[in-house]
Amino acid sequence: MKLLTKLTLFITLSKLLIVVLFVMLLPLLVNRASFQYTNYYLGQQRKKVLAVIQKNGIEYYLQGDTSYGSYTMLKEEYISLSPSSTVALRDTIESSQRIIEADTLNYRVLTHHLTANNKRYQLEIGKTISTIGQYNSLLQRFTLYILIGLIVISILVDLIYTHVLLRPLAKIISSKLVHRKFPFKEALFPVRTSTSDFKLLDRSLMSLMEKIQEAFDKEREFTSNASHELMTPISILKTNIENLLEDESLAEEHQEKILAMMKTLNRLKKIVHSLLYISRIENNQFAMNDTVEVFSLVEEVKDELSHRMEIQDISFINAISPKLIMSQVNHDLLFQLLYNLINNAIRYNKAKGTIHITDRYTQGKPYILQVADTGIGIRPDELGSIFNRFKKSAHSGSEGYGLGLSIVKTIASFQGFDINVTSEFGKCTTFSITVPAGMVLAR
Amino acid sequence: MKVLIVEDERAMAKDMCFFLEKAFYLCDNAYSASEATRCMEENGYDFILLDLGLPDSDGLQLLSDSKKICGNASYIILTARGDLEDRIKGLDLGADDYLPKPFSLLELQSRMQAISRRKSGNNDPVIGLGEFSVDLNKRAVLHEKTDIDLSRKEFDLLSYMLLHKNRPLTRFQLSEHIWGNFSDDDYDSNYIDVHIKNIRKKMSVYATVDWLQTLRGVGYKIKI
Repeated sequence: MKLLTKLTLFITLSKLLIVVLFVMLLPLLVNRASFQYTNYYLGQQRKKVLAVIQKNGIEYYLQGDTSYGSYTMLKEEYISLSPSSTVALRDTIESSQRIIEADTLNYRVLTHHLTANNKRYQLEIGKTISTIGQYNSLLQRFTLYILIGLIVISILVDLIYTHVLLRPLAKIISSKLVHRKFPFKEALFPVRTSTSDFKLLDRSLMSLMEKIQEAFDKEREFTSNASHELMTPISILKTNIENLLEDESLAEEHQEKILAMMKTLNRLKKIVHSLLYISRIENNQFAMNDTVEVFSLVEEVKDELSHRMEIQDISFINAISPKLIMSQVNHDLLFQLLYNLINNAIRYNKAKGTIHITDRYTQGKPYILQVADTGIGIRPDELGSIFNRFKKSAHSGSEGYGLGLSIVKTIASFQGFDINVTSEFGKCTTFSITVPAGMVLAR
Repeated sequence: MKVLIVEDERAMAKDMCFFLEKAFYLCDNAYSASEATRCMEENGYDFILLDLGLPDSDGLQLLSDSKKICGNASYIILTARGDLEDRIKGLDLGADDYLPKPFSLLELQSRMQAISRRKSGNNDPVIGLGEFSVDLNKRAVLHEKTDIDLSRKEFDLLSYMLLHKNRPLTRFQLSEHIWGNFSDDDYDSNYIDVHIKNIRKKMSVYATVDWLQTLRGVGYKIKI
């Protein structure tokens, strides 16, 4: 999962959790708050009553009676003043029932004891419980709406901020990792960010990439220079030996020796030549603006090699889908790639064997081309290293210098293809080339 | 025909000279651009073989300069640089052919012959071979008007040997010509034997092919 997705999920879920908790706690809180307010309200009422008594005397209420009682029209509140015998120092507030005009009602009651005219009185101020909770549901709903609104705003702000915050990371990933293919041909640009961690990451990646590219360039330059420098002495030796062979008076044993020299020199020349060819591909010396019909290309290679197949009685099946055009490639390089693969398929085949060229084309998907033979196969422990330069099979006695396949590999990576190999030792080998979607189109 | 070899590697120049003189060319050697200019001013040449890596001048510069002095000569560029760009520039500047080092002297001679044929135009491209005739332009082998059906590779092989008649040709030289620089010598040279066998089989139906000699352990030779 991507970091941004993870963060988005976390932010949304955590806020939702807060909302759920709040919704569960809200009735309790509102109840508590309204009771506390009621207590405070009753206290205020008491103060008012006491202030009236202080000012006008208790007779203002009693009017000659021994007790006084009054209530509002719907009996939401009442006040009573009655003689009392108990001596209580503190006010009490409690919920209890009172019977007012035959109605039994639940009240929140503040009880206060006072002394006036040397008599003890008990003052009760009450408020019905039902009126206390009157606004609770409204209050709850209102609070909930505000909360949800705030949460939505905060989620939005969080998401936008994380998005902005993580944008440099996404940019680093896309510009340095995903859309980069080795060798790094285009210039590198630092990603603009004020986050020091990203800066560090970006810088480290860039310096790593530059180091790799530098090492690669050095190797490439060396290969190229060394090959050129080697070509001249090889040239001289070659012409020299060719002239020697011209000599008609040469004894047969000398001829054989000269021939052996020529053979060795040819091997040397071929190695240098292959290295030079590889370095030329890596130096971008091949233009990639040809369009090639895949089927015809395979036929071209087949024509070039058909003699060899006839000699070994190998059947060749070109099952490439017709009318497929590969664009943005170099014809000569592709020819060389297929030539090397098919030549190997002949060379390491058995008599009366088969070479099968197949492909898989789906529009919008990578194109896959396979060269399969029924040959001697490759040992599992050698499969991983067959594309390496100068890798010689530890098992085969022949002088395999493996440059054929490393040329194949170089061409494939230059063209942006993937290449891999599967093999069953003693039975068959299949090379698969995967061409990026869009490079191959049906006509 | 007169040939000027412009090559700073003396050993290489001498070898080329030695080989070409056997094929009856007259050779002069120039080891630097200034020497080459002097030679061109003093003599006329049919061929100028030009190494691009000269000590005192850029070979491509020398090429455009010498075109003014020796305009009629045919130019073949010889170079170890082998860059595609050089090749295109060289041919743009009017070189007739381009041969990357290391090349076979036989290949050099083939190219020179091809240029001669192309330039003379009226030169008869049909060469007699025993009772056969080989038409290099039409790529046909005839025996008294009968066309002998040789495969492409077989014809390449036969014509190459014919152009270098009376020279011993090794399997490596032949396979290098037929399959180019990526020929796998040990393996490919065996196919030369198969091709030669086929050529003999197809042609001996009509007449004797004893002009095609096998040199035991070495290779083949056309002797006429």
